Amino acid sequence: MEERVYDLIFILRPATPEDEINKIIATLETSTAEHGGKIEKTERWGTRRLAYRVAKHREGFFVYMLIHSTQGDIIKELERRLKVNDAVIKYQTIRLDEELKRQKKLQGHRERRASRRPRKQASPPAPAAPQQPFPPAEQPAAS
Amino acid sequence: MSDQPVPASSETPGAAPAPVAAPAPSAPRHEGHSGGHRSEGHSGGGAPRREGFSGGGGGGQRREGGGPGGSGGGPGGPRRGGKRQYFRKKKVCRFCVERVDFIDYKKADMLQPFVQERGKILPRRMTGTCSRHQRWLGEAIKRARNIALLPFATEL
Repeated sequence: MEERVYDLIFILRPATPEDEINKIIATLETSTAEHGGKIEKTERWGTRRLAYRVAKHREGFFVYMLIHSTQGDIIKELERRLKVNDAVIKYQTIRLDEELKRQKKLQGHRERRASRRPRKQASPPAPAAPQQPFPPAEQPAAS
Repeated sequence: MSDQPVPASSETPGAAPAPVAAPAPSAPRHEGHSGGHRSEGHSGGGAPRREGFSGGGGGGQRREGGGPGGSGGGPGGPRRGGKRQYFRKKKVCRFCVERVDFIDYKKADMLQPFVQERGKILPRRMTGTCSRHQRWLGEAIKRARNIALLPFATEL
């Protein structure tokens, strides 16, 4: 099966001790590994201000993870674990692979067009013609 | 700009309503009533109102830029005079200029300029974003809202 890419962000209570954070991350890692997934990246954004109140908190400790997996079940399991944990006040998983695919496609298009452009330089008179009406109008004003 | 009268006269022959310029003395009065006829009003009132000319000169560009904007509803004042003198710069999609293929919802500070103070997503006509990027942008903003990076609405 095709590999999928997920973004997982979760927010912990700002008062969560460091060990607790480590423990949560560790459990997520083990359970992803069990399901044949892989955490490519883990980032701790630290305590940030929340844009709105969540569980009566105005700040939260953000943790970001980038997960590669061939099985979607893994997300169910991770979200269940986050839901169970009291320190987690909010989480969000987003499937990214289709957007990354689109991004790659557009980049490919652009590169191909860029490589093709040198040949096309012979035919710019067409776009140049409609532009001409404006410069003459400005020239008398400048003189 | 101060040298406008001379080029203006050279310009009007090119434009259609050149002959109308002959009854110049009567034209200024018309200007007040027949606000709709921009070109006539300008050619007639050429001497007293130079600004009108500069507006008329840029007319072609202005119609392109200002027409779709449609925000002329508010400023009724300029329309009463039969001319909108301000020149609106053509807005270009910021993402197209930078060749953005993916708008990251995690960069909340990057999305901030496309959100109003109260948290609303700014419309395309304000920011000049192209339709494709506006679609991506809306998605990114909604994701950011969901994870408390951006507000749904500002609190008291």
